[in-house]
Amino acid sequence: MTLARSGPRRRWAYQLDVKGSPYFYIAPFFLLFGAVGMFPLLYTAYVSLTNWNLLEPTRHWVGLANYAELLTDDYFWNALFNTVSIWLLSTVPQLLAALFIAHMLNRSLRARTFFRMGVLLPNVTSIVAVTIIFAQLFGRDFGMVNWALDLVGLDPVDWQAGTLSSHIAISLIVIWRWTGYNALIYLAAMQTIPEHLYEAATLDGAGQFTQFRKITIPMLRPTIIFTAVVSTIGGFQIIAEPLLFQAGTGNPTGGSDRQFQTVGLYLYEQGFSLYKFGYASAIAWTLCLIIVVMALVNYSVTRRIRRS
Amino acid sequence: MTTIITEAPRQARMPRSRAARSRGGRRSAGFWTYAALVAVLLGSLFPVYWSLIVASHDNDAIARVPPVLTPGGHLFENIARVFDTTAFGKAMLNSFIVSGSVTVSVVLFSTLAGFAFAKLRFRGRTSLLVVAIATTTVPHQLGIIPLYILMAELGWTGRLEAVIVPGLVTAFGVFFMTQYLSSAVPDELLEAGRIDGCSTLRLFWHVVVPAARPAAAVLGLFTFMQAWNDFFWPLVVLTPENPTVQVALSSLASGYTTDYALVLTGTVLATVPVVAVFAALGRQIIGGIMSGAIKG
Amino acid sequence: MSAAKLRLLVGVLAVGVLTAGCGGSTGSSGDGPVTLTLNLFGNMGFKDLYAKYEAAHPNIKIVERTSAYNDHHRNLAAHLATGSGAADVEGIDTGFIAQFRAQPERFVDLRKHGADGLKDRWLPWKWQASVAKNGAQIGYGTDVGGLAMCYRRDLFEKAGLPTERDEVSKLWPDWASYFEAGRKYTANKPEGASFFDGGAQIFNAMIGQAETGYYDASDHVVVATNPVVRSAYDEVLKAVADGESAKLVGSSPAWNTGFAKSQFATIACPAWMLAKIQDQAKAFAGKWDIAAIPGGGGNWGGSYLTVPAQSKHVKEAVDLITWLTAPEQQIEVFKAHGILPSTVATYEKPEVKNLKNAFFNDAPVGQVFTTAALNLKPQYQGPRAGDIQTAIRDAINRVEEGKQDGPQAWEQMLKDVERIEQ
Repeated sequence: MTLARSGPRRRWAYQLDVKGSPYFYIAPFFLLFGAVGMFPLLYTAYVSLTNWNLLEPTRHWVGLANYAELLTDDYFWNALFNTVSIWLLSTVPQLLAALFIAHMLNRSLRARTFFRMGVLLPNVTSIVAVTIIFAQLFGRDFGMVNWALDLVGLDPVDWQAGTLSSHIAISLIVIWRWTGYNALIYLAAMQTIPEHLYEAATLDGAGQFTQFRKITIPMLRPTIIFTAVVSTIGGFQIIAEPLLFQAGTGNPTGGSDRQFQTVGLYLYEQGFSLYKFGYASAIAWTLCLIIVVMALVNYSVTRRIRRS
Repeated sequence: MTTIITEAPRQARMPRSRAARSRGGRRSAGFWTYAALVAVLLGSLFPVYWSLIVASHDNDAIARVPPVLTPGGHLFENIARVFDTTAFGKAMLNSFIVSGSVTVSVVLFSTLAGFAFAKLRFRGRTSLLVVAIATTTVPHQLGIIPLYILMAELGWTGRLEAVIVPGLVTAFGVFFMTQYLSSAVPDELLEAGRIDGCSTLRLFWHVVVPAARPAAAVLGLFTFMQAWNDFFWPLVVLTPENPTVQVALSSLASGYTTDYALVLTGTVLATVPVVAVFAALGRQIIGGIMSGAIKG
Repeated sequence: MSAAKLRLLVGVLAVGVLTAGCGGSTGSSGDGPVTLTLNLFGNMGFKDLYAKYEAAHPNIKIVERTSAYNDHHRNLAAHLATGSGAADVEGIDTGFIAQFRAQPERFVDLRKHGADGLKDRWLPWKWQASVAKNGAQIGYGTDVGGLAMCYRRDLFEKAGLPTERDEVSKLWPDWASYFEAGRKYTANKPEGASFFDGGAQIFNAMIGQAETGYYDASDHVVVATNPVVRSAYDEVLKAVADGESAKLVGSSPAWNTGFAKSQFATIACPAWMLAKIQDQAKAFAGKWDIAAIPGGGGNWGGSYLTVPAQSKHVKEAVDLITWLTAPEQQIEVFKAHGILPSTVATYEKPEVKNLKNAFFNDAPVGQVFTTAALNLKPQYQGPRAGDIQTAIRDAINRVEEGKQDGPQAWEQMLKDVERIEQ
């Protein structure tokens, strides 16, 4: 490496580099985002204050009326409950399983690329195929899950009809689709953990589990925070899985009694089945506020993981 | 797990070779690890396998109970039908252009921004990062109407720019890289570089980029995959004459009755290129590359 | 991957960025040859006709774009609302026509292009469904579904019901006798095979025959006050309580499987569903047959061609849809694809009238479906009819799933309908 030459010009350049260059590095993101990402956000915020319906030629300013309506809308609160329930049922097992799978993938393995890429396949599989598969699995009369329940002497379940049963089924789809994805995120981070930490621990007689708990978890801290926040954001915006669980049947009401309609699905129903864009935009921004709060909660929880 | 084999003592400085890459070798996988991984893999592979099965039959296979589990003889016929029905070749090429551009851009700009957020001190750092992350909390489905209005103004509707430009940066990528680099690049190393008189750009290129490679590969994979599979926005803004793969798949799905064999053949064909990218980038994720770089 | 390969990959991808600008641009200039675009869904069977039209009109070039059913209609709504992106000709399904008809200013009023003189081509209800509130004619009908009652001969025989289609048709002149036959069937039903597929589908067939459905002629929702709606609802739920329903939701994957697993003995079937039944239930060739629909008339499905006001080639586009929907072309489409015409004159043609279907035990499908289409009385459909249909479907499903009783589900449905109305 070159040694720093002394001199005022050099020092000035150094100062500029240290103080100014960070802005240069983040500029592309903010410029590009500002160019195409910001307009839709602000526009949605504006639309949420109108009664715009896509099918009608005119729209009027209604102030906060959409938000007021939302607060007393049973279907919104129902959707929020479903969202939280499905989020809890899916996120916790998914992240634990992902950690565990990443841990296994981080060992010396034969055919390791194959294993590592294999776990990501559910995420590549097109939603059409996923829909067809899970309809087969969770069918009421001829589904494979009910067939298995029958084998062990249990009664069949009408997966779509029940609130809890539909939440469990949807959570399983989510877990199936996203565990490998999170596992790879963990795996990438695990590979930055310096080798000598494990060597020292092994010399100290620490077992596999202790090493995992005392070294791996603390070292993964930023990544765990990341996945917790991202899963919160993703989990609260969930649309695809409940939508495909009700495949082929018209308006996305999330079951006959809206028992598995998430906020995202409700937004989709209002926006793209009923074309109430003003109201749907209000749902979007309310959901955004809820997510920010939840992500902050999650951030503070996961932040407490002890630093190594 | 059953066995933990400790390796022979490592040399102080291994060259960047295949041996160095397999540093995971410190803890070899035992039987139960393989058994668990194979189980996970079977679960992951099954739907893909089953799509292929249906794609190799004619349309009634989908409804058979118990499900058909062995290949039939219609695969090539169905593939031919996919190419007859839609501009599938063009769709593939378009999807490569879109996903490739988006991936390169996202990885590059996310690494740059992630480096700044994770390792550099500057005014407004935390609040700017929070702003970036907060933008992902707004459900983007609704954004398509204003985005469409914007694209119509720019005259980009029906053109690939309409799909590429909105995807060039993601807050997810910035957040991902920030979190990764904050732990992957030791501060001492950067300090040492500074003392040696390196500019931040040199530090970025010689320290951060090598360290970021596993994460960049993962981010690249995810970005490619998401761009490839995105259908909501492309369906609105593109037309079947100039489609991406997902738009072409949509035109395979027929009005009243769906030809599942045809649709699933299309989905299988659409998955193949992504798997190819997996194979290419997958090797990058294998660790060890960066350890040599940091120590070397 | 080696560094060299990586660099190559990056290079290739970077070229992608640069060449992306060349991606196909569409649209045509005002002079000279005109390119007409058609946005359709599914297979409407026009592809073979374009060459003929282009030959007769050398300055016209036709480009058809096809997308999936829901995507197509959602995109059309977005393109109309944002004022750009719609094609010169847009197909609209019966299920969406009332909704789009509510925004006539976004479509070309075909009356300005001689629609009045063509009116007698179509079935009256088909014509009426594309007339907007202000009298504008926004589309020309392509096909109709008609409606019949498909039934399984073998299951009927096992349950001790008649199997010949004329006798079966006589069994159910109206819906009350249909449900009565269902009770007889259910008493001796073969294991696992209910009488009909699902309450909501039967309800739709019933309500479609009423003079007034969910709306009165002045666009008021009358679900709560129209006695026909409530009585059909009660009748269906009675049949559900009697065990006649297989409790399957129409078009769901489970419903598709139901064909192959013989879960129901009858299903209200439009003409286009025959191909689906043949596909899903290959093993039952000759066991299916087709009788008349109770009540005599019915329709499910069918489409329209419209010209959005934003089209740059209105005259050419109108000429094209006038030609495509003319009886001569509908006959061609019917011959090639079995899609049932909506123009009355074609029903007298021997190709239509005498058509039989071997899979359905040589049922005279031409005669059955055209009779149902001719017998159907026009019913006024309001803009939200489809959404109301979903609300009622969900109510019936709640009862079928055992979550609510009939009156509870009805009350909740009325609240849903009120919200839809706003």
